[in-house]
Amino acid sequence: MSAGALVRARLPRLPRPAWLSGTTGVLLRRLAVIPVVLFALASLVFVAIRLLPGSPATSLAAGGNTASAQDFSANEERVTKALGLDQPLLTQYGHFLDDMVHLRLGTSFYGSNSVLGLLADALPATVELTLAAMTVAVLIGVVTGVVAALRRGSWIDASTRAVATVSFSLPWFALGVLAIVVFGVWLRWLPVLGRLPSTLDYRPTTGFVLLDAILQNRPELLWPWIQHLILPAVTLALSMAGFITRIVRASVLEVLGDDFVRTARMKGLSEGAVVRRHVLRNAWLPIVTVLGLQFGSLLGGSVVTETVFSYPGVGRLLVQGVLQRDYPVVQGAALAIALLFTLVNHAVDLLCTVLDPRLRKG
Amino acid sequence: MSEAGPAVDTVAVETAAPAPAASPAGPPSGAARRRLLGTLRRRRVARSWPALLAWLLLAALVLAALFGPLLVQADPLRQTSSALLAPGAADHPLGTDDLGRDELARLVHGARPLLLVSFTATALAAGLGTLIGLVAGYAGGTVEQVLMRLVDLALAFPSVLLVILLVAAAGPGPVSLILGIGISLAPGLARLARTLTAREAAKDYVVACRLGGTGAPRILVREVLPNIGGPLLAQVVMTLSIAAGFAAGLSYLGLGIQPPQPDWGYMVQAGQEFLFSAPRLVVLPAALTLLFVVACNFVGDDLRDALDPRGTA
Repeated sequence: MSAGALVRARLPRLPRPAWLSGTTGVLLRRLAVIPVVLFALASLVFVAIRLLPGSPATSLAAGGNTASAQDFSANEERVTKALGLDQPLLTQYGHFLDDMVHLRLGTSFYGSNSVLGLLADALPATVELTLAAMTVAVLIGVVTGVVAALRRGSWIDASTRAVATVSFSLPWFALGVLAIVVFGVWLRWLPVLGRLPSTLDYRPTTGFVLLDAILQNRPELLWPWIQHLILPAVTLALSMAGFITRIVRASVLEVLGDDFVRTARMKGLSEGAVVRRHVLRNAWLPIVTVLGLQFGSLLGGSVVTETVFSYPGVGRLLVQGVLQRDYPVVQGAALAIALLFTLVNHAVDLLCTVLDPRLRKG
Repeated sequence: MSEAGPAVDTVAVETAAPAPAASPAGPPSGAARRRLLGTLRRRRVARSWPALLAWLLLAALVLAALFGPLLVQADPLRQTSSALLAPGAADHPLGTDDLGRDELARLVHGARPLLLVSFTATALAAGLGTLIGLVAGYAGGTVEQVLMRLVDLALAFPSVLLVILLVAAAGPGPVSLILGIGISLAPGLARLARTLTAREAAKDYVVACRLGGTGAPRILVREVLPNIGGPLLAQVVMTLSIAAGFAAGLSYLGLGIQPPQPDWGYMVQAGQEFLFSAPRLVVLPAALTLLFVVACNFVGDDLRDALDPRGTA
């Protein structure tokens, strides 16, 4: 972010029209970036599919269930047509963008599920998982970060920092699998696969189990849902928690040195009240910023974590699509993840602007 | 180089001065390049015991990957139909997998793909990122704008997604993994290299070189690069641990080296089928992967402290 600011600082500044300055202006300018990023990603996906070694149709057809040469050429023809590869490249690109804008994401090569339908099932699951992971990460990160900062220099501080360093880029799959073995196989405390037990008859209304349990008045859905969510969410949260711990520790330490903290102590507030009412409230901003920055890696982690736990989210959809060379699914899932990422990042940006009026100059 | 000598010296002293553990400046010959090695020597690496442990662990894993296959006689691909999922015994110390292949041999051979991909991808990211950063930071203007906007764009995507798309385009395999991870980690390094280069390019000794008629490539490689090397290298070693995590995760997903060749990540995935009957098939490769990445993390952190004490990176 600072590097970006440096770059901008060296450009000649153009006077900004009135409607583009101020809080609304910041809002509008930030929202304007979303379509640009999505357009870039869509183009990347478009290029990626056409970069396939050899004819994409050939490799796609070979990837399908081809028992005979006849099947193969039939498959090849079907794929060529499905991708519109017999047309000039620019026409293909035009069609592709048109399809994207109208959310025509095509159908899976395997079975005849529409990609939009698959995404409608998978997106809520991923949103649930990442939100749960974020909540856990914030809880762990804030508590350990505050404790480490208050006990600065003690063994608690040292060990917290060591653990936070380690968790910087843990391989999610290894953690997840080890968690499965310990809690699912050895201790048998928690279920290890899926999102809900198959014995439960769950018909999604919104796709979010929590909302559906309320809407359909089925509280019995909740406990199995939470049980299935614990391991993947904690696995995913751990790598993020370390990062949050470091930021919280640093920002709490910084705030602790401020004059208003001394004043709060001098007027006789208890240490707990000082931390809650004064320190944390001022330390929130960097934490929220980090949450936004880390959300991308959280989504990335969900790709792996979902596969480990056979959790039916967008990440698993993407991986399956890649392995089966099911390009409409890859395209749809990639766009969905990018959309989620961009939206959350901008939501966080806006939240920061709301939290800190100093940022509104943007 | 000869006209630039004194100027480089001044900078060298300047940069080394705020470091608390720095011994008095070494021989004053104008080799800024040597300063990087000097930094490593003067600031002792692995001073805390977790860091020392991590260095030893990483060394052990690298040695095991290099020479292990020479020591373990068993063939990681040979299937013994009489011993499927067998527990540890004299001929198979760690037992066999579902196809009756020796687990120890597979673990030893399976270390190579992960190490190879992590190190090569990091090298690729370092090369690419440094090149982009040097050019952008030194050239400025339109070149810088175009390059850095591309970098911003690449950073705007979740990197795992970028890697998966690149791998999807090139087909699964170690080369795709290296390319994918290398390219997706390069933008972060490029950004740092650009900032450092731009800062350095404004300094007197670089201006002196330019006025003396030294060409841009020579200035960048001989003057700028050695002077930004410390913080940059510190970031590169941090990148190694990210690359290791990526490589392990992607090979778990089946995007790396293809079976039947052994690979820790894929062994975990294949072993998940036998979670309840033979959990060791999952636990051993998963634990080793975890150890490797954690060791990389600690070593990276330790090296960063040594190379970049002021936390520029």
